[in-house]
Amino acid sequence: MKLTKNTDRDCAQAWEAMPWVLQDSASPEQSAWLTDHLAHCEACRQEFAQQSQLRLALALPTDLPLDPEAGLKRLLGRIDAAETEVAHVQVRSGTWFTRALVAAVLVQALGIGVLGVKLWSEDAAQNYRTLSAPTPAAMPGAIHVVPDAGMKLADWDSLLHSLQLQVVSGPNDVGAYTVVPAHAASTTDTLQQLRSKHGIRLAEPATSSP
Amino acid sequence: MKDADIDADETDRLLLQRLAAGDRAALATLYRSYHGRLCRFLSRLTRRADVIEEVINDCFWVVWQKAEGFKGESRVSTWIIGIAYRCGLKALRQRGDEPVDDEGLPEDRLPSHDPGEDRELRDWLSKGMERLSANQRVVVELVYGVGHTLDDVAAIMQCPVGTVKARLFHARVKLRNVLPALAGDQLTQKESVP
Repeated sequence: MKLTKNTDRDCAQAWEAMPWVLQDSASPEQSAWLTDHLAHCEACRQEFAQQSQLRLALALPTDLPLDPEAGLKRLLGRIDAAETEVAHVQVRSGTWFTRALVAAVLVQALGIGVLGVKLWSEDAAQNYRTLSAPTPAAMPGAIHVVPDAGMKLADWDSLLHSLQLQVVSGPNDVGAYTVVPAHAASTTDTLQQLRSKHGIRLAEPATSSP
Repeated sequence: MKDADIDADETDRLLLQRLAAGDRAALATLYRSYHGRLCRFLSRLTRRADVIEEVINDCFWVVWQKAEGFKGESRVSTWIIGIAYRCGLKALRQRGDEPVDDEGLPEDRLPSHDPGEDRELRDWLSKGMERLSANQRVVVELVYGVGHTLDDVAAIMQCPVGTVKARLFHARVKLRNVLPALAGDQLTQKESVP
């Protein structure tokens, strides 16, 4: 573009305006001004003609053989594949969660079972007495026995065994044991037998009132 | 913005809303509507048809996923072409820009209805465009081909308006210097000079 001194500024303005006038986005005043300028400026007229041709050429449809329907089909296939993948991931994670839950329940059940068996197999005899259970002294046939301090443990065990007595309490502060007959037996007879034995200092029924 | 552009943008926005709700018919309509524009636009970046097709699909894949997030700060076309531009640059970075020469295209790949005049115009254009950088070709396409404003182009290319102005200026100077002076004159006679 040849710019003469007189029209330098106008030609620069025309240069700026050309794309937007061609786009039809210039204001009517700007378009009218350019039209007027072009009527008097050969250089800008040639430039504008080339710009018009450029726009015309750029508006031609692409010569590349691309089929929009084929492309769209591929895009939809891609979306389908992605959604299926997401669904599979959800199902997979759901299955994993369910399996983990079932495994946890099974482990719990197994633990409870083992614990139950262990508790059941333990001696039924409790090493504790509940408040509602009768005190040893209140048991029927209970006898307070005070063995001699010098009595041997073997003799004491032998005596209890022979009379079928079981120690349920004691010795207390004065060395007295509470014994009960293992089987139903006359307390009086048992008392007499105990009193007759060597090494027994005292044998008194526990339930008798003083 | 011209009335036609406003109407077109309004239609695009409605389609985008439906698309955000998972409407595939809206996606198909928008895809068909933009396919030609994007083909032409992307052909300024590369001449490889397979890359262009892939980029268009990548672009609409993003549109499908991000439609809900479109805030309406720009025209829908600006938003979509911006996505295509970025997808195009990414694809070229991954593959390396290997433009296909027009001369390398087999005859049957050119549209059969391409009249001689159009062919001449294409040749004339390609002579000029091949002398421009990719960024300059994109700016020329967006301004002259698509009809975007400088602000739109800046938004698409994610650069300052001044950069777009400079690219456009240099592209025009180059084209003026390298293009044959209105090849044959018969083409220019079609265009009435105001």
